[in-house]
Amino acid sequence: MATVVEGGRDQRGSVTPRPQAPISGPELANTPLVIRRREDEETVVTFPYLVWREFLAGLAAFVFLMLVSIQVNAPLLQKANVSITPNPAKAPWYFVGLQELLERFPPIMAGVAFPSFVIIFMILTPYLDRNPSRRPQDRRVAIVLFTVFVCLSVAFVVIGEFFRGEAFNWDWTLILGHPGLSSPV
Amino acid sequence: MSATPGEANPVRAFVAQLWGSVFRHGLPTNDKVAARTALTNFFLHIHPVRVKKSAVRVSYTLCLGGLSFFLFILLTITGLFLMFYYIPSVDSAYQNVKDLQFVAVFGDIIRNMHRWAAHAMVITVWLHMARVFYQGAYKPPREFNWVIGTFLLLITLLLSFSGYLLPWDQLAIWAITVGTNMAKYAPIVGPYTRYLLLGGDQVAQGALIRFYVLHVIALPLIGFLLMVVHFWRVRKDGFTGGL
Ligand code: HEM
Repeated sequence: MATVVEGGRDQRGSVTPRPQAPISGPELANTPLVIRRREDEETVVTFPYLVWREFLAGLAAFVFLMLVSIQVNAPLLQKANVSITPNPAKAPWYFVGLQELLERFPPIMAGVAFPSFVIIFMILTPYLDRNPSRRPQDRRVAIVLFTVFVCLSVAFVVIGEFFRGEAFNWDWTLILGHPGLSSPV
Repeated sequence: MSATPGEANPVRAFVAQLWGSVFRHGLPTNDKVAARTALTNFFLHIHPVRVKKSAVRVSYTLCLGGLSFFLFILLTITGLFLMFYYIPSVDSAYQNVKDLQFVAVFGDIIRNMHRWAAHAMVITVWLHMARVFYQGAYKPPREFNWVIGTFLLLITLLLSFSGYLLPWDQLAIWAITVGTNMAKYAPIVGPYTRYLLLGGDQVAQGALIRFYVLHVIALPLIGFLLMVVHFWRVRKDGFTGGL
């Protein structure tokens, strides 16, 4: 995938530096890993090259959102009423994972300890990860840990959103429908 | 389309002067003009004049940071339109939103767009964070930009959460009731935090005005400032580039 390239000329004709003579052994272990693709050496003008791409990406996003907005209405239920509690009452989907945690762990853990831990750990991530390499092969532990975190986050949100019915109890009927009825209710 | 001093036709000369007064340089017909245009244009200044080819491949950033920013802009603009109709009072808020949805011309599209773009932004920011992690793009010298990013993620979630209350329907107050009840569990400060957030014990007028002010002024402003710093550092630290 990545190959060491000889120095090349960019469009303006200036010479990019040639890589150092090959190194090996303990020296290599102590050297920051710099492997370049030819692409890395080449540059392009951001305007219009990059700006044009950004414009296209923005346009695509806009058209997509416009189509969705024409087709699908944002929810608007009955006017707020403190005396009628909907059952179940759910947090917005991105916090429903937390609500799911609250269902499984004591509040002080789920509501305070876990979220604080995640935020603090996230802030500290670049300082805790002392591994200088960015190549996936070299950072298996980091990748596995992060992937576990992502999977758990997604799983809790999916469970809270699609598998929790009345009183936030486990409920298969949300996705499978009621036995005896032909479609989910 | 550059200003031609010797232009005989007065109309064309005037148009040329007009164009020249707004845009310092002509259309980017070659790299040199393009570079000068980028250098002298305020809005283009967010970019370096040249970038590594590898950094602009879509497969590298997956456009996710850029898309998050685009959604933020779109949310600001659609939100501005919503503000023309919306009054943050428990007596009128619901009716205002209903009017937007059913009476105001294009009101439904603007409201839908604001809503769906907000959900989309939560997703794109998450994915952006994931791509930065998987590429190890938070490693030195970009540690601090990751920290800024963490706060941007929190701001994005809070923006979305504070907006959730504003339609003042059953979905809104109960979601916020559930959400703010979580704050209660923190030892000692929990109940006080909740009271501070809601301006009372219940989700009522006090909460509505607080969430409104946070949603339309405080959080967007903080978010915007953080983004400015985030982008500045992306430029100063340079792109991580290929793996
Ligand atoms: C409102 C939210 C955010 C916006 C608008 C935003 C925007 C951007 C943009 C436009 C870039 C340039 C590269 C790209 O498009 O991917 C970028 C890079 C970066 N972002 Fe974000 N970002 C946000 C949130 C975050 C979060 C949550 C994190 C991590 C916790 C983060 C960490 C980084 C880092 C470390 C870079 C440098 C990556 C590199 O050089 O390859 N950002 N961001």
